[in-house]
Parts: sequence; structure tokens; C-alpha cells
Amino acid sequence: MAVPGLLEIRNVSKYYNIPERPLLQVLDNTSFCVEPGAFVSIVGPSGCGKSTLLRLILGLDDDYQGDILLHGERIVGPSLSRGIVFQDHRLLPWLTLEQNVGLALENVKRPARDKAKTVREHIDLVGLHGFEKSYPHQLSGGMAQRAAIARGLVNRPEILLLDEPFGALDAITRIRLQAELQQIWRVEGISMVLVTHDVEEAIFLSHKIIVMNANPGRIAREILVDLPSPRDRASNAFNEIRREVFSLMGESTVLSLAA
Amino acid sequence: MTVNTGTVVAGSAILDPSTNSAFNPSAAPAAATPTLTPISDTSAAKRPRNAKGFFRGGGYIGIILPILIIGLWHESANRGWVDAVFLPPPLEVVKESWLMLTEQDLLHDFWISISIVGQAFVYGSVLAISLGLVAGLSRKVELFFAPTLNTLRHIPSVAWLPLIVLWLGLGAPAKILVLAKSVFFPVFLNTLQAIRHVDKNYIELSRVLTLSRWKMVKRVILPAVLPSIAVSLRYSAGLAWALVVVAEGLSGLEGLGFLIFRAQGLLLTKQLLVCMIAIGMVGFVIDRGLYLLQRRVTRWKVAFEG
Ligand SMILES: Nc1ncnc2c1ncn2[C@@H]1O[C@H](COP(=O)(O)OP(=O)(O)O)[C@@H](O)[C@H]1O
Ligand SMILES: [Mg+2]
Repeated sequence: MAVPGLLEIRNVSKYYNIPERPLLQVLDNTSFCVEPGAFVSIVGPSGCGKSTLLRLILGLDDDYQGDILLHGERIVGPSLSRGIVFQDHRLLPWLTLEQNVGLALENVKRPARDKAKTVREHIDLVGLHGFEKSYPHQLSGGMAQRAAIARGLVNRPEILLLDEPFGALDAITRIRLQAELQQIWRVEGISMVLVTHDVEEAIFLSHKIIVMNANPGRIAREILVDLPSPRDRASNAFNEIRREVFSLMGESTVLSLAA
Repeated sequence: MTVNTGTVVAGSAILDPSTNSAFNPSAAPAAATPTLTPISDTSAAKRPRNAKGFFRGGGYIGIILPILIIGLWHESANRGWVDAVFLPPPLEVVKESWLMLTEQDLLHDFWISISIVGQAFVYGSVLAISLGLVAGLSRKVELFFAPTLNTLRHIPSVAWLPLIVLWLGLGAPAKILVLAKSVFFPVFLNTLQAIRHVDKNYIELSRVLTLSRWKMVKRVILPAVLPSIAVSLRYSAGLAWALVVVAEGLSGLEGLGFLIFRAQGLLLTKQLLVCMIAIGMVGFVIDRGLYLLQRRVTRWKVAFEG
């Protein structure tokens, strides 16, 4: 089993320099920490730099100030120790489910039979047994997102990043997948960072919620969620936290959510 | 039917009983006890492929028009609407084709034309796909070739022929070269264009999965551009087949193109029609073959089928 990752974001700032436009600051001096095995959510209005932050953690972009450390070492470039699930499941339409999951093992030196077994296990883990040979267009949105989770996990990463993975799903499927994600997180014992704009989802799943504000993207506050599991979405304590998060995100967010 | 657990379900069941079963396996209970079973909306997967035989799915209606045309042709020849010099009756044409096959070695000319197109198609498309891939992957290579190729491609193949014949003579090589050129450009441009249109997110994905450049080409870029390449292959094969007729008519002493132009000169209308029909049928077979290839490389796509 993978060692759960200890991720530290230290004073990270990020600018986008688009020619013939003023320098755009996307992240302003953000710092937080993901303890080994923790589940941390990042919530904030759209455009506050959440996806940008995940791209930096993935190592897709090294043009930033500050430090991003995994087990105390600065991350350099993408690595299989950091998995990702995108909002658009991003399965390759010309590969079957099992080929899509297996793609994450292409760069791993292991016997083919070994790989096939791992792929099968992870497909089972996300409940897609029987759909190994299906193409993405034959899967529902929820199934595709499970497949993406399987692909993110199949390398046994130390940390799994999820960028609004359930954002495009209907409410019922979303609630179901949240429960399954929690279950997977317990089984795998790795660290997870979930970006979401569903505050309830964040409270339901996380130890810690990083609330961000926009323009430029910055951390408003860290909220520790100290509720027993399984969490009751209708409880007072749950609602208390929800109210706090909304007030931290500010009026503009509440308005845009209402719209 | 029993009343379900959970207020949501009970409430909606009163309003609309049909939603009851839809709610039953999911909703609130699932959240409390996490399970890892697939959700119920899996019916979309494993849908059997639309089996389309020729006579099923209305395929037969395509045969009606040709029968009508041949019938009309037959009648017009029978009743003397058109002089036989201009339009001999269908049966005469069938007889003529038998004569040409048995006594004039029509098959020889037939194979000459096919082999020219076949070779030109292979050389032209292999070069086009390779160069298209290289130029697609490297901006530098693209910029190196762009001005030259963009100029050359505006000179029509037929305009190339006299010069090439001057160099290579009246034989097959000149025609192969000219046809290869006409196959090259559509395939090259489509390959290049398709690579430029590969979803940037897929490239990002291959970086995240730490795929090597070669693996990225093999697993991501090639499959993504294959449908476009297949379409351009189909298009350029048709083009080459049409052009071989012109090229053979303009130079050389064999091939269907030569026969058809000679028949016109000698007013052998029957022979002319035989050649036309042969050309049409080969064109049809080539197109069908490449259509099947195209279907194969796009089978992961959901297409609009009318
Ligand atoms: N590649 C890029 N070039 C320029 N600006 C970008 C780029 N990516 C994102 N941005 C800008 O950065 C800001 C934050 O974007 P993003 O990280 O996607 O926000 P979020 O995920 O929180 O909605 C937005 O204003 C967006 O327009
Ligand atoms: Mg985003």
C-alpha cells in the first residue's frame, strides 16, 4: 500500500502573463497543508484559482512563486505519485474502460499480467465490474467519473487530487459517489484533495476545508470539520459549518449560487 | 408496492407513483451505507450494435433507381429514341464487354489502371501520413515545408503531367508520380490539421500520466487523428481513380483511360460505355472498401445515422 502523502503548499503565488494584457494574479500567497491520509477540500467561487492550484501541485506548470512540497521535497514535473481526476472525466473515447484505466500504467515497468490484475481490481473497486470492454460513450456520466477515479488510483498514488469530479452529475448520483469516494479513501488510506463548489460535499467528506476568495485567489480560512462519521447532512452542526463557509465566501458567491 | 424509507421517496411517491422505482435503489439510504455497486443507469452500455443487413433497414430502396435508369435506357434504344451510335442498347453493351474481355484483353488494361492507382495511393498516402505526423508534432518542420508545399499544391496534377512525362516517359512511372502527388496533398493536409485539433486536454492528460512522447503519439494522437486520415484517404482514392483515366487518356497506350479516349475517337460507343461502367464499378468498390476502413477506425464514435 502506498505511503499517504504529506503535501505542503507554502506561500504560493501565481501570475498569468498574457501578452498585451495586464498581469493577472491568480493566486496570492496561499499556504496550507495536507497531512498524510487526510481528506482536504478546497471551496471557493469559480475563477479563484482552484484548478490552477491543482495544476501546480500536479507539476504541469512550474512558473510560480513559493514552494510545493511532497514529503518535504519540492515537486518537479508530473509524477505517478500524484493522481488526478478531472471534472470532465477525460477518458479517451477510443479506448475501452480497461484500456483507459491501464493507460495510467503505461509508464510503469511491471509484467503485463500484473498490470491487468491491478486494472481489474480497480475497476471492481469503483463498481464497474462487467464494463471493462465498454467505450466511454457507452457509460453514463456517473460511470465515466468512477472510471476516471479508477484511473487516478491505479498507480497507487500517495495523493489523489480531484477537480470538481462530481460537478456535472445529477444530485442523486453525486450523493452516491460522494459516499463511494469516502469508502475508497478509507480503503486506500491515501491523502485526497478535493476541489468543489458544493459546500455540502466538502463538509460531508473532509477533515479540513480550505475556503478561498477570488481576485486574486487567496485563502480566506481553514475550517476543521470535527464531526462524527457518518455525517448527517441535516444536523445542526453540519448546518453551522455550512453557514460559516458561505459567509466566508462572501455575498457575491451566495448571489451567484442563487442565480 | 411497499412504502420506501426516507421522506423524499415517500413524498414523491404520493405525487407520482412512477418515480418510486426510480428512487428506490439510490437516494438517501445509499448515502448512509456506502456500497460499491454500479448504479442502475447502466442500460446505455452494451447496447447491441445496430445489425443492418442489406435488405433490412431499407437498404433495398437504393436498387430502385438503377433499375429504372437501365429500364429507360433499354426502352429508348428499343424504340429508337436515340441513335445507337450515341447510345447503344444495354444488351449490346453487355455483349461488347464479353467480347472485350475474351478477345481484346480488357482485363489487362483494367489491371494496368488499378495497379497505377494502387501504387500511387500507397506511395502518396504513406508519405503524406508520415510527413503530416512529423509536421504536426513539430512546428519547425511545418514551417520548413509550408511555403513550398502550399505553392506546389496549387499546380493541378494534370498540369504536372506533361513535364513529368518529358522526364519519365509515357510509361507507368510518370502517372504514378502525378497521381501520388494528388493523393499526397489531401491526406497530408488533413493529417496535419487533425493533429492541430487534438484536444489540448488529452495532451495534458498524457503528461499527467507521464507517457513518453512515443506512447503519447501511439495512444493519444494517432487514434485521435485516424478518423480524419481515413476520410481523406477515401477522398483521395476517389480522386486518384478519376485522374488515372485522364492521365491515361493524355499519355500512353494502355489502361482504361486510354481505351475510353480511343473508343471516342473511333466512335466505338459500346466500348466507351463498357469502360465507363467498369470505371464506375471500380470506383464504387474502392469507395466501399475505404468506407469500411473508415467505419473501423471510428467505431468508438457515436455517429448520427439519419
Ligand atoms: N492558461 C491560462 N492563461 C491565462 N489565464 C488563465 C489560465 N488558466 C486559468 N486562467 C485564469 O486564472 C483564473 C483562475 O482560473 P481557475 O484556476 O481555472 O479557477 P477555478 O478552477 O477556481 O474556477 C481565471 O481568471 C482564469 O481565467
Ligand atoms: Mg476549475
